[in-house]
Amino acid sequence: MALTRNPRGAGTPKGGAGSSKRAGNPNLPAPTPRRDVAQPIVVPNTLWQSTNPLAYDGGRPSEITHLADVERSGTAARDNARWGGALEVIPTKADYVLDLLRANSLWPLLSGLACCAIEMMSAATSVNDMDRWGMFPFRASPRQADVLIVAGTCTTKMAGPLVRLWEQMPEPKWCVAMGDCTCSGGRYKRSYSTIQGIDRIMPVDVYVPGCPPRPEGLIYGMMKLQQIVKDRRGHWPERAIGPTVPDAI
Amino acid sequence: MTATKHPGQHASADDPRIMLDEQIGVFEPIPPYPPRTEREAEFYTLGDGEMFINIGPQHPSTHGVLRIVLKIRGEQVVDLDPVLGYLHRGVEKLCENADYHQAICYTDPLEYVSSLFMEWAPVIAFEKLLDVRVPRRAEYIRVLTGELNRVMSHIMFVGWMALDLGGLTPILWGFIERDEIVEMLAAVTGQRMLFNYFRIGGVNGDLNHDFMSRLGRWMSHATSQLEAELTLLNENEIFVRRMRGLGAVDSQTALRMCLSGPNLRASGLPFDLRRAHPYSVYPELDFDVVTRAEGDCLARYLLRMDEIRQSIRIIDQCLHEMPDGPVMAKLPRLLRPRPGRAYAAIEGPRGQYATYAISDGTDQPFRMRIHDPSFVNLQTVGLVMPGNLVADTVAVMASLDPIMGGVDK
Amino acid sequence: MDRSLRRRLDGRFGELTTGPVRQRNDETEIRIGPGDLVQVMRALHDEPDLRFRFLADLAGVDTGIHLQVVYHLWSDTTADWLRVIVDGLPRDDPRVPSVTFLWKGAEWQEREAYDMFGITFEGNRDLRRIYMPPDYTSFPLRKDFYLADDASRSPAGGVRHMEQVHAPRNAPPAVAVRRTTVA
Repeated sequence: MALTRNPRGAGTPKGGAGSSKRAGNPNLPAPTPRRDVAQPIVVPNTLWQSTNPLAYDGGRPSEITHLADVERSGTAARDNARWGGALEVIPTKADYVLDLLRANSLWPLLSGLACCAIEMMSAATSVNDMDRWGMFPFRASPRQADVLIVAGTCTTKMAGPLVRLWEQMPEPKWCVAMGDCTCSGGRYKRSYSTIQGIDRIMPVDVYVPGCPPRPEGLIYGMMKLQQIVKDRRGHWPERAIGPTVPDAI
Repeated sequence: MTATKHPGQHASADDPRIMLDEQIGVFEPIPPYPPRTEREAEFYTLGDGEMFINIGPQHPSTHGVLRIVLKIRGEQVVDLDPVLGYLHRGVEKLCENADYHQAICYTDPLEYVSSLFMEWAPVIAFEKLLDVRVPRRAEYIRVLTGELNRVMSHIMFVGWMALDLGGLTPILWGFIERDEIVEMLAAVTGQRMLFNYFRIGGVNGDLNHDFMSRLGRWMSHATSQLEAELTLLNENEIFVRRMRGLGAVDSQTALRMCLSGPNLRASGLPFDLRRAHPYSVYPELDFDVVTRAEGDCLARYLLRMDEIRQSIRIIDQCLHEMPDGPVMAKLPRLLRPRPGRAYAAIEGPRGQYATYAISDGTDQPFRMRIHDPSFVNLQTVGLVMPGNLVADTVAVMASLDPIMGGVDK
Repeated sequence: MDRSLRRRLDGRFGELTTGPVRQRNDETEIRIGPGDLVQVMRALHDEPDLRFRFLADLAGVDTGIHLQVVYHLWSDTTADWLRVIVDGLPRDDPRVPSVTFLWKGAEWQEREAYDMFGITFEGNRDLRRIYMPPDYTSFPLRKDFYLADDASRSPAGGVRHMEQVHAPRNAPPAVAVRRTTVA
């Protein structure tokens, strides 16, 4: 549709074999200076229609194409778990300060399982530094950790140790599902030995999709977690296991 | 959910939506069933003064989810039993149910730090089945990006090796380097890590200006950066004294353990698939096969450093000799190779990475066997560890450079 | 395509192979029965003009009818890969002698073939499951083990409404039915 791509590469036969790696190489296309935000390419779905007219928003394409718009419109908050119960009282100053303390020094547990662990390490090291938000010490022991960032595919064999780790973490604790494999199974959705999404075995607070998500994406997820910590005050009895998306979705 | 729980049962056992069975998996150090094999019986019977230590699937050594049960007497390791499978995702089965193009996507996360190599061998195997000739420019681009990936992988090796021995600086420096290389590869492949760049018949897209400028900037300081990082570790007495003589493997033992790659070359055998069974355009490129004779951890580390230098040399040659032309061969969208078998092996950063593909004439591979080097190399830990100290287990494991995604497939 | 290798193999193992030596591109292939494996492997490993000292790969294959074990070997006497296929293993009790007496590094590869196919390697001192949990009862890579389609068969699948929407009319069936066989 609107996609233009030259799969044959820049095959202009000017000059000899590429002589240097500098910008003067005549075989490469000239760089165009971009100062505006790139427009998203929207490819409508003309291949398949659902038999249920109510599915997928009734067939309308989504108007929201930028993450900032999603945040502003409040759609991102729609899936947040509801904290009901008697503790919906006006927070005291002590609660507020405690939440600030917790939010600004969330200590993750070293729970890197697969590829997303590398991007988690990249988010924690020099170039994208998570230490700016206080998340520097990746604790090896679950007893000392606040956040379980599950980074990587969780298999059925690993589910046992992972749930045991989760249960050994003292409260307040939060869980971040990093990567497609932990959000929903990802590319291993049909596999016989993976858990299709860790929200089937433990409550998840923040889902960070991507395969793997960029370190900036993980940092965005952690900032969202900080927001949750400040808003939610961790109501433990009402934590739900299982997909937290309401049935009507 | 209240009183009728036994200690092993989770709170989630009553919820019907939960996929866990009552016994998700056995993860006690001593298996609760009688030993079923000779080796299991021999390992799980304690001698005098011995005990088990479980280095569980979650541990700070960042190779992934590997569980090692150590049998120790005091501080000395008597025997060890690695338990794998904590990252087994069923890639081979998934590849059988997918097309040829989709099967390549499943191989990326095998050894996730060297994704391009993980795609390379299946792509060569499928090209053998289809009798496709890859254009020369595509081959040069494959070698160029592949060697960049090798450099990145070896830099990560240095970082993790030092981290396992307690040094925190090399991994931070390594991630700076890695970030630079990975942004470079993202400019041409679109992804920072699981690149999905190689296609059957070529590569996905040509090099672009962003990639070339970043590559130029990186090449201008690559060698000096490497020397700086090396002086950090090579002249560190603790590092050298811990690693020298540890886990020595001689060449006959290495062949017997089916080692390959830097681990084999560090034991004295100059076996490099780029020279022994050349593929792609490696016959036209000039580089040395680095070999060392001692076979211990220090030799494996120094050899990988020399390999980074050789890779930079190869990258330089690729840039100077890159021909023009298409980057993708003309292929039909639906690929149906004729029935047959093909084996393709490449020299990955950890050793021989190979694919054995069987085609039955349909558009899905009948069998895609992935031979991963980390899987085979990891057996050496059990061979060299007895007699050494507990803290050396991680050092030996780090020097063999396993990546659990590849070990467990 | 090394003709001299083919002549050497024909001369040495002519009676033991169950078919001709096949060659394509840079691969040479021989097929033997499970009873001859030890003899053939020892000869390939020890003889000075064969010297196949490097075991590159040990794989199990399920052809739909039989099971096979495929070995890939490398020697410095030839430029070809040698593929040794042990064919004709029955599905109910596949047994093959182990090559761990020559290559200790084959131990885990045989464990993997056992785990995925159920092939028993006689002589392997440690034949237990390596990838799947030890109490797992199926052999995943066999052709009669089908992958579950998430929305239809998994107990926790189908919770979301999106998973309950009907599949497209012209979607391929969830289970691939094999109509072709592999030689």
